[in-house]
Order: sequence, then C-alpha cells, then structure tokens
Amino acid sequence: MPIKALSNVWNFALNAWLSKRFPDTREITLDIQRIFVIPTRLSAALLFAVLVLGLMAINFQNSLIYGLSFWLLALIVIAIFFTYRNLAGLTIRAIQSQPCFAGEKAVFELEVRCPDNQTKTAISIGWPFQDVETVTLRHQHSVHIKLSHSTRQRGRFKAPRLTLFTVYPIGLVVAWSYAALNLESIVYPAPRLQDNADHQQNADDHAMHGAESADGSTDFAGVRDYRSGDSPRKIHWAAYAKTGDLYSKTFVDYASDERWLDWDALPIAGVEAKLSHLCAKVLEYHRLHYQYGLKLPGTLIKPQHGDAHKTTCLTALALFGEHR
Amino acid sequence: MFIKGFPQDKQISYAGMLWLLAAQLSVMSPLAFYLPVWLIPVLLISAAWRIRVMKGRTEQPGIVVIGALGFCGIAGLLASGIALVSLDMMASLLMLGFAYKAIEVIQRRDGIVVVLTGYLLVGVLFLYSQSILTAMYGVFAMTMLSGALIAIQQSAQQSIGSNLKLSAIMLLLCLPLMLVLFVFAPRFAPLWTLPLHSNHARTGISDQMTPGDIANLSQSEGLAFSVKFNRARPDQNQLYWRGMVLNYFDGNTWSQFQEELDPDVEKKTLQTSFSNIADRLDKRGEGIEYDIIYEASGQSWLFALAPVVSLQGEALYGRNFNIIAKHDVREPMMLKLISYPDSRRDVALADMLHQQALQLPPDGNAASRELAVRLFKTSSSPQDFIDSILNRYRQDAFYYTLRPPLLDPQHSIDDFLLNSKKGFCAHYAGSFVFLMRAAGIPARVVIGYQGGEWNNNGEFLAVHHYDAHAWAEVLLKNRGWVRIDPTSMVAPQRVEQNLQAAVQEEGSFLEAKIFSMTRNQWLNGVRKQLDSVQYRWRRYVLGYDTRQQAAFLKRLLGEVSVGHIAIVVGTLFTVIILIWGIVLGLFRKQPREAIEHRLYRRFCQILQKKGIKRLPSQTPQQFCRIATAQLPAFNQDITKFTETYSTLCYQPDRVSYQQQIDIMKRLLSKIRKQR
Repeated sequence: MPIKALSNVWNFALNAWLSKRFPDTREITLDIQRIFVIPTRLSAALLFAVLVLGLMAINFQNSLIYGLSFWLLALIVIAIFFTYRNLAGLTIRAIQSQPCFAGEKAVFELEVRCPDNQTKTAISIGWPFQDVETVTLRHQHSVHIKLSHSTRQRGRFKAPRLTLFTVYPIGLVVAWSYAALNLESIVYPAPRLQDNADHQQNADDHAMHGAESADGSTDFAGVRDYRSGDSPRKIHWAAYAKTGDLYSKTFVDYASDERWLDWDALPIAGVEAKLSHLCAKVLEYHRLHYQYGLKLPGTLIKPQHGDAHKTTCLTALALFGEHR
Repeated sequence: MFIKGFPQDKQISYAGMLWLLAAQLSVMSPLAFYLPVWLIPVLLISAAWRIRVMKGRTEQPGIVVIGALGFCGIAGLLASGIALVSLDMMASLLMLGFAYKAIEVIQRRDGIVVVLTGYLLVGVLFLYSQSILTAMYGVFAMTMLSGALIAIQQSAQQSIGSNLKLSAIMLLLCLPLMLVLFVFAPRFAPLWTLPLHSNHARTGISDQMTPGDIANLSQSEGLAFSVKFNRARPDQNQLYWRGMVLNYFDGNTWSQFQEELDPDVEKKTLQTSFSNIADRLDKRGEGIEYDIIYEASGQSWLFALAPVVSLQGEALYGRNFNIIAKHDVREPMMLKLISYPDSRRDVALADMLHQQALQLPPDGNAASRELAVRLFKTSSSPQDFIDSILNRYRQDAFYYTLRPPLLDPQHSIDDFLLNSKKGFCAHYAGSFVFLMRAAGIPARVVIGYQGGEWNNNGEFLAVHHYDAHAWAEVLLKNRGWVRIDPTSMVAPQRVEQNLQAAVQEEGSFLEAKIFSMTRNQWLNGVRKQLDSVQYRWRRYVLGYDTRQQAAFLKRLLGEVSVGHIAIVVGTLFTVIILIWGIVLGLFRKQPREAIEHRLYRRFCQILQKKGIKRLPSQTPQQFCRIATAQLPAFNQDITKFTETYSTLCYQPDRVSYQQQIDIMKRLLSKIRKQR
C-alpha cells in the first residue's frame, strides 16, 4: 500500500512537472529542452557483449579486441547523439479534430514537419495503449497523420500529452518527448433512442414554410466580386489562382418543414438518457432531410437543416450543462 | 521498448533479413580459414530456408527439426577433429549457432542476437590473426553488422548504400573516442590463461643444424624480428643475433645435447632472473638498449645480442646467455633488452659445460683431426692456432655459395675442408668448431641471424629469415667465450653488407622465389614501406600493453597520476563531443517559427520603418486597415499580403503552400523597395 501511495505521489509530481515543462500549444518544435534520451535494453545486451570481449582481450592480451570493445562502447555513446538528432527539430502541429460519439474514437489530424534538408526516420507518435503512427520524413517537407483516441463520455474531450519517440538509427538509445498540443474534440452523446418517448415527441412537431434568406451560410449560391470585409473563408481561391483577382462565394439559407426537439417535453428520466435520445433524433431527422429545431434549457436552436445545423445541434447536446 | 503501452517487437523486413545475411557472411568468411569451412554452407542453407518461409513456400521448422539440426552440427564439429576443450571448439560452436540462427530470424530481437554474436565473432577472428589486413577486414565486418542493426530498426525500406553510409559515418565518428579509450583505459594482466591454438606451424631457424638447413632458410624473405635501438645503431658487422648454442656433433649434424634440447625442460629447471647467470658474467663496455618485436614463429627460441643483461617481457635467461620465451611465440611479441656485447662470459667454465664443448664423435674425419693436431703443435698459442686456421679459410681457395655440392656423409668435414671447399656459413662454422675441438680447444656452434636491413622510414632494423647465420664461439683462457665467424674470412660482404651482396656473382639470392619483391629494386622499396607500416603496427598497436601504456603516458603527460589522466581524458571527451555536435549540426539553431510567421514579422518591421507600428493587441486585419489608411500607395500589396497570411494561418492548404509563401515574399520585397 505505501508503495502504491508513493507511486501515486510520484506520478502526480511527474505530471505536474511535465505540464509545466510542456505547456499546451498549438504547435511544438522538439528541441534540447524537450527531448529525453536513455539507452535501451539493446544497449545493456551490447554492454554484456563488450564485457565478454573485454575478458577475451584481457586474457589473450589482444590489442585488437581491446580496440573492438572500445569501439562498441563508443557506438553506444554516439548513438545518443544520432538518436537525439533524429528527433530534434521535428515540429508537430494540431490541424483539426473530428468529433465523435461517446464510446467511439476521436480522430485528430496532425501535421509533422521537419526542417529543410533533414530527414527524420521511424518516429513513432501516439498515446500509450492507443493509436501509434510511425512517420518517416524523407525529401518531403511535412506529412499529415491521423491519430485516434478512444472516448468514454460526452463533452469536450481533451487528448492527453502525445508521446513521440524514436530508436532510429541503431536501436541502442531511445529519444522521446511529449507534445501537449491543444487537441480537443467534441464528443457527442452516444445516440440511443428511447421507444416510449417517440410518439410524444411527434406531437410537438410542427410543419412550417419559410422564405429563402439571402446571405446565409448553408447552400452555395454563386460568385461575386470581392468586397473588403468579406471573410477569407468565402474567397474563391480556385478562381484567384486562375485569374489573379479575388472573388467571394455567396451562400443562401432557406426554411422548409419544421420540427422541434424539446428537452422539456421528453418523458425520460435522467439527463444523459435524454441527451442520448435527442442525439439519436437529430441524426434521424437529418437523415430524413427535415427542418428541425432544438430546445434545451437555456439554449434554443432555430429550425434549419443541413450538415452545419446538425453539427450545431449535436455540439449543443455534447456541451449541455457545461459552465460558461 | 521502454515506454509502457507501445507495441514492442516487430518482424524483420525482407530487406533487413538480406542485410543480416550479408553481415553474417562477411563475419564468417575469414573465420573459414581457421575453422571448419562447411559452416558457411550451413549458414547459406539456413538463410535460404528462412527466405523460403518468408515467401510462404515452406513451413517454419519445428523444435524437433531444429534440435536434430543442432545435434548434427555438433556431431559434425566433433567429426572434424577439433579438440573438445579448446578455443577452436568454442569458436566453432559460436559459429554454428550463428549460422543456424539464420533459420529463425523472425523478430527484431532475433536480429539483435545475430548482430551481437557477430561482434563477438569479430573478436574471435582477432584471436586467430592480428595483421593489418585482418584488422581492416574487422572494420568492414563491423560496418556490415552495424548496418544490419540499422536495417532491422527500419520500418520503411532504404537503399543499401544509405545504410552502409550511415553505419560507416557512425563508426568513423566513434573512432576518436575509441582511440582515447584505447590509449587511456587501464590494461589488466590476464585473469586466467587459456590454451590458444591446438596446432600451429613452426617457422624460422630449427634447433639443429645440418648443412643445407640454413641454405633453405636463406630462400625465405619472411620477417623474423624487428629491432629499434634506443641510442646509436651498432655497426652492421657487430649485429650477431644469437639464438641457440649447438654443442653436440654426431658426424653430420650439429644439435643440442639431450638435456638442453627441450626448451620446456630448460624453462622448468632454469633461470627466471638475471642473478642466476650474473656470477658467470664479467660485464664490460657500453650497454646497448633496444626493443625487439619477434614475429610469430611457433618456437620459444629468441634472438638477441649476447649477453643480455636486462630484459623486460615474457622471457627467461637461458644457461648459455641466450634468452628463451616463456611460451612459444605464436603472436608477435615484444621485449625490451639491454645487452653488453663486450662482456666476458664464463671465464671460469663449469666442468660439465667444458666437457660438452669438447665432444666429438669417436671416429670419422680422420684427415681433419690430423690437420688440427699438426697445426696446433706448430702454433705458439691457442690464439695463434685460431689465426692459422682462419688464414687457411682466407687464403685457400674456399668459396662461399648457396649451392654447395653434396658431401660424403661419413666424412663431411674432410670432404669439405680438403676437397670441395665450397660451402655456406654452416659449413664454415661446423668445420671450424670441429678443428678446434680436435685440437682440444673448447668450441661450439651458434646459430641465429646476422645483420639485418635498416629501414629508414621507420628507423628500425628488419631481420629476415634470409639473414640466418651460423658462427662459432671458442673458449679462451681469461677471455671466456670469444665469437669467431669463419664465414667472414671467405665472404666479408656477408657480414659487412648482407647475403645478397655475398652471393651477387652467383645470383642465388632468393632464387627459389619466382616472384620476389626483395630482388626487384623498385618493389624492394615498396616492400620496405610495407615493412615499416607493419613494424609500427606491431609496435604501437599490437604491442600496446601495460608497460607500453605506462611509457607512452609518461612521455605524453610527463607525470602519470590519476588526476592528470582524468584532466586529459575529460578534455579530450569534451572536444570529441563538441566535434560530434558540430558535425551532426546539433548546435545549429532550429527555426522555431514557420516561415509565414517570420515573413509577417518582417512585414511589421518594414511598416514600422515607414511609420506604422503594430500594437500587440491588433489583429492582422485591424493592422491592415490602419496601414492601408495611412499608406494608400501600398493599399493593394498590404491587403493582399495580410490576406495570404491569414489564409496560411487559418486555412492551410499544403498543395498551394509554397506558392503562397512565394506570393508573400514577392509582396514583401515590393513593399520594402517602394518609397
């Protein structure tokens, strides 16, 4: 028991220290302050071989075997430098994350980059007991990788510190580092329909028609000249690349059948069960191309349809109850 | 691996497998010269089996098959006639396991076992040979093994060249550290001794002399030993490298008496320290200090300028003022010696030795005996008698040749002295001693080497087998043993210069060698260079032991103390690590920021020069609005630059990345140049 307690204290202290040393960032470049290096078990095995060779050298008074033993020792030392160099200078950046449903895996997209005219070989990136990806950067500036991490409950999922390590080139030494990237993903509630709640819900569904509302953000409508103040997101880059002039894309929204998903009207006990049910309904309505709105205590999302709307609704469900 | 929760072993790729095989072959090939050759096919078949398994053509062998194979292998080794408890057996077993392992190289771990065993086998190779070539080959094998270690760490396949290059670079960078360790790491005396080789060949002078033996040896241009004089080099004609003393003559062959014959017996019964022979020696004249490196001969006989008064190394003092190695010389061995050639030896000779020095066979060679007695009677003193004999050799038509005619084995001395008069050093020395003994003057034959070849490059004397020589020692009243070389009467060039000069007319020097570097003048220069390299190798590399280390460190540091060495080694380590850091580019500052951020910062600096300072709170868009308002001339460029920057930051697109960076650069230089 005291050992367990001690190890807990140790882990806590280690984590605190690592958090301080590896503050959350969007992008991190590994350098001497962040890279740890330690010989591997292969080094121990090689040391044993050197010991045997040393005995041979002493007993047979053989200079060449002395030389061989010393050379192998030197190899372990230089392996530290080579392995360190293989990891140093590597930059890792969070690109984006894909939301997922609770119990599934959140996927994070990362960019791994190395300085020009360097190569990085066989670098493993990942979380222990989770996804690990091995990256080799050769002649290419950067590479995008996708890592997944399992999730358990809805809400904001913050991925733990990433571990990066390599034993390349010679396996005698491992160099490793941590990257505390701001890897956050929204975890939607696990979709679970509650049978008894279904017909009640339908009673609240209304149908309405609405006019098209210009300058929305849902469906693509056309292209016009760029006006200062337009969001860079709406710039038509393909057109820019061809003509050299800037154009902006325009979008429209429109309304159609409207249904409401109302928290208060659900005859289900338990917050999570309600959220799971609503989540399932959102997915169903989306699949059926309904216009639907969401009423949660403190939140009201007007009826709309489309992918963006679905995401808005699911996010609201995921973050329900989060303190602002 | 080290970190919990990450996958461990990985299978070795096909390329890694081939790498391992190449490394194994390169390690095993040279060992096949010393150990059973059939181990190499065993390796090839094992590897072929593994490759077939990898390609799915056959099954991985089970434990029964592997056990049976192992049994067959060990039976094969025993059948090859290797002694059960010997180094050869240990090395062969290691080789066998190494070869078989190729069948089950599956995981990275197996590959590691192979590579580590390979390193051990390179060490075993050095037990069998320590020549420069072997050392160079060892370096190659190490490069291959390290290359294989690299290859099995790779997940993605890489070219053979790049692996080999990386491995070579790593080993090359290791070299300075290895040398520092080699020079400074303490050396130890053997913890226990092991028999090294079960059989070996003997080379060089044998321990008896039949006329003709030395003539055969004179056809060999191998190196016998090399000598470095600490002070001035003695004259060439004083360089008599004394080996063994032959007292017993059976009418045809000179040899040692039975009790002297076996050096092992002599070692057991005789001197380990100089004090045992000190009272038989009257030390006179100047001492000559020198180091000798003896090449492997497989024998215990050593050669030195007599008498040796001080020796350091694995040797003993023999009873005839010769020196004997403690063990047969199977690897090059170095001694530090001091000799006093002008000393008098055995001024008062023990009876037993006196008797030995007068021994003659009961009959045969009657004419020679009569000649000796007659001449002795007409001589006023033993010295006078010796001079008259030597005069005979000089004035009579004696001829020095490497192609002597065959002599009558019953009366070889008579035949030589009175009929053929053509002979080699062995004939002259043998007949001279015979005449002395016949006249009642104690005398004996000494064999060894005479002269040597001075190597200007290395400043050392190389003594080759063709320098083998035989001469005589005569016991004179009050003077002890006196060296007399009858050959010098007949062929003074032999002693003043060398054998080649002595038989120049005859052209018989190294005639048995069809290709001889020594005979060809130009190649002889090359050979001397090689000799010099080899000498340095022997002396400074192979001979670097506890004693040499102490001497070297003393010369290097002046004073040898732990503190001194620690400071020097510490400094060297620091320097080496700095060099590594520079070579590997570890000190180069890594560009921390992505290029677009650096460009934007530069953009802000340029605008600041034009009078617009960006506040930390301003976003790029806000700053852009302010800047365009104040510098309408730059409106377009500033706007475009800011937009491109924003795009790169918030909507990165790797495809057009470089293109957009180029746009930013172009705009930046435009803004900078424009007034």
